[in-house]
Amino acid sequence: MKNVYRVLAYAVAALVAVQAASIAYALFGLAKYIDGGGAVDKNSDGFPGVGGLMAHGVGGQLVIPVVALALLVVSFFAHVPGGVRWALIVLGTVVVQVALGIFSHSLPALGAVHGALALVLFGVAVTAAMRVGSATSVVDEPARVATPVA
Amino acid sequence: MEGQTPVVRRRTLVAVLATVLVLAPLGWLWFASLVPERYSVLQMGAADYGGGPGTFAHDHGETAGQPRLSVEQLVADPVRRADVRVDLAAARATLALGAKAVPGFTLNGTSPGPTIRAVQGQLVEVHLRNVDVADGVALHWHGVDVPNAEDGTAGVTQDAVLPGHDHVYRFVAEDAGTYWYHSHQLSAAQVAGGLLGALVVTPRPAVAQQVDALALSHTYGGVRTLNGVAGDQHVVTAPGRSVRLRLVNTDNGLVQVWGSAPYTVLAVDGHDVNRPTPVSGPAYTLTAGGRVDLGLTVPTDGSAVRVQVSKGLAVVVGPDGAPDVAPPPQPTAQVDLLSYGSPAPVGFDPATATRRFRYSIGHRPGFVDGRPGLWWSVNGHLYPNIPMMMVSSGDVVTVHLDNHSGEAHPMHLHGHHAVVLARDGVAATGSPWWFDSLDVADGATYDVAFVADNPGIWMDHCHNLEHAADGMVVHLMYTGVTTPYVIGGPVRNRPE
Ligand code: HEM
Ligand SMILES: [Cu+2]
Repeated sequence: MKNVYRVLAYAVAALVAVQAASIAYALFGLAKYIDGGGAVDKNSDGFPGVGGLMAHGVGGQLVIPVVALALLVVSFFAHVPGGVRWALIVLGTVVVQVALGIFSHSLPALGAVHGALALVLFGVAVTAAMRVGSATSVVDEPARVATPVA
Repeated sequence: MEGQTPVVRRRTLVAVLATVLVLAPLGWLWFASLVPERYSVLQMGAADYGGGPGTFAHDHGETAGQPRLSVEQLVADPVRRADVRVDLAAARATLALGAKAVPGFTLNGTSPGPTIRAVQGQLVEVHLRNVDVADGVALHWHGVDVPNAEDGTAGVTQDAVLPGHDHVYRFVAEDAGTYWYHSHQLSAAQVAGGLLGALVVTPRPAVAQQVDALALSHTYGGVRTLNGVAGDQHVVTAPGRSVRLRLVNTDNGLVQVWGSAPYTVLAVDGHDVNRPTPVSGPAYTLTAGGRVDLGLTVPTDGSAVRVQVSKGLAVVVGPDGAPDVAPPPQPTAQVDLLSYGSPAPVGFDPATATRRFRYSIGHRPGFVDGRPGLWWSVNGHLYPNIPMMMVSSGDVVTVHLDNHSGEAHPMHLHGHHAVVLARDGVAATGSPWWFDSLDVADGATYDVAFVADNPGIWMDHCHNLEHAADGMVVHLMYTGVTTPYVIGGPVRNRPE
């Protein structure tokens, strides 16, 4: 379970990188398309790189929230010290990040926070993952709690 | 070691409980969002009586003691002979657009289909035959306030017409104006694929000395066209002539229109503007699904007028051999219909409204038919649990639209024309702004009003048809009206 916790936490961090990558890919695709004389509006049939935007949407609306939720569930069983707390922090950051993804359409300036908060999410996910290795030897909880006063 | 200690067992129990606590609400939301394989729109959503009679009724559509009327009975005079008869054959096709081949549909071998023309007051009869469109077809008369049975919405007012079958539409063209028709079975895909055409109703005493031109804008697989051609449209006219240019936007997004010469906005969505004034700078914003008739005067010096319909396409109106007109730069200012033209009576008093609805558009995470994602919401709810607006014949109805969803929505009410009372709380001061297709920008609010004078069950949906397919579909339902048709079912009706 501890390993599952660690893998899921690192997965969130890796997926944040994928989110950044997909947006960068889409933007460069768009720039090249416009440079070649292409024009984009609501009725266009996309542009080379539009797949990046779709991947970002699926990653942000579905994949990352599901992994973050799985991390929380696993944390209940994994007995990683502070594991539940960090899983909640990861999930909470994801919720805020998704909300920013929604509201930035109306308030583009919020998009800057969306971009920056992604780094925070990366940070908290890595921190969560690192709880597993570092702390187990210090607080070996099962041994302590399994000493009932007879 | 004798298995787990009680403490460990208790901790496992707590973990399981916590898991249930986290996942059960999600599971329930998922389950509650599932839509049955077949259902009637009568059962859809939560009845909203707009504060009018019936507010405390239980079964929507039912008002105690009132006889029930089926949409099938809401037809044009069945014994009257047709004045205009049109046969339309719908087929699959690969459409050639310059170098690009796009899979799509045709009506009588072309897309757009033939332009149907009628004189005000004539009875139009259209025989639709589905040659080989596997999913079935249905034709909706966008902007024409037809009797409900003729509305062409699969699963609400008829069954989708399957390959080898036909269906007859009959309606009186009561109001002169520019309209269009399009499939309302799987409309997101079939309209994009070109199952559509224009409908022009001219006034009974014809407007003398006017050149009548039409440009229907549609994007096929990313290729922008006017009247199905990926290039400028040329309308040849003598110098000095006055021209009525009818523009139809069949796409999901709005289109900006601007000219190299002044123009007047003669009519919007098939309703004349009262005392329009010349516009000589701003662009006109043509809502998705909307139409506008522009008045132009061809210069007497032998030159032509260029009307841009978005950046890449134009209608060029002028004498044969007139020199090219350079595309005028796109203006940033836009004609504001809220203050354009002069006020006139609208024929009813919105202040006496008997039903007042709210149509608030958001965007939020959730499940629609079991699919997780971000979805358009109406009054906070997702499809199919969105409001069912209940009215009775004769009601004066107001709707407060507000959009906080991050994207514009071109709202389209079937079977009625409504008038804009205010935008963002600012009252309309121009000509009565009648519409059937209204672009509600992100952050905007509109107060609109109409008279419930066309009984039936009518969609009130987003005409960005991708949004409609994702569930932005509210219905306006008259009390006592029922439908025998179902969404899904054996012919797989899917109006969006
Ligand atoms: C890593 C840096 C990130 C950047 C630069 C970035 C940038 C963007 C941009 C430009 C958009 C608007 C594009 C569109 O709506 O199609 C967007 C939307 C969105 N992003 Fe991100 N994002 C990042 C990370 C994330 C992460 C980690 C998540 C998920 C937890 C996320 C979730 C979303 C969501 C849900 C949307 C809204 C999609 C929609 O409206 O359909 N983003 N992001
Ligand atoms: Cu919409």
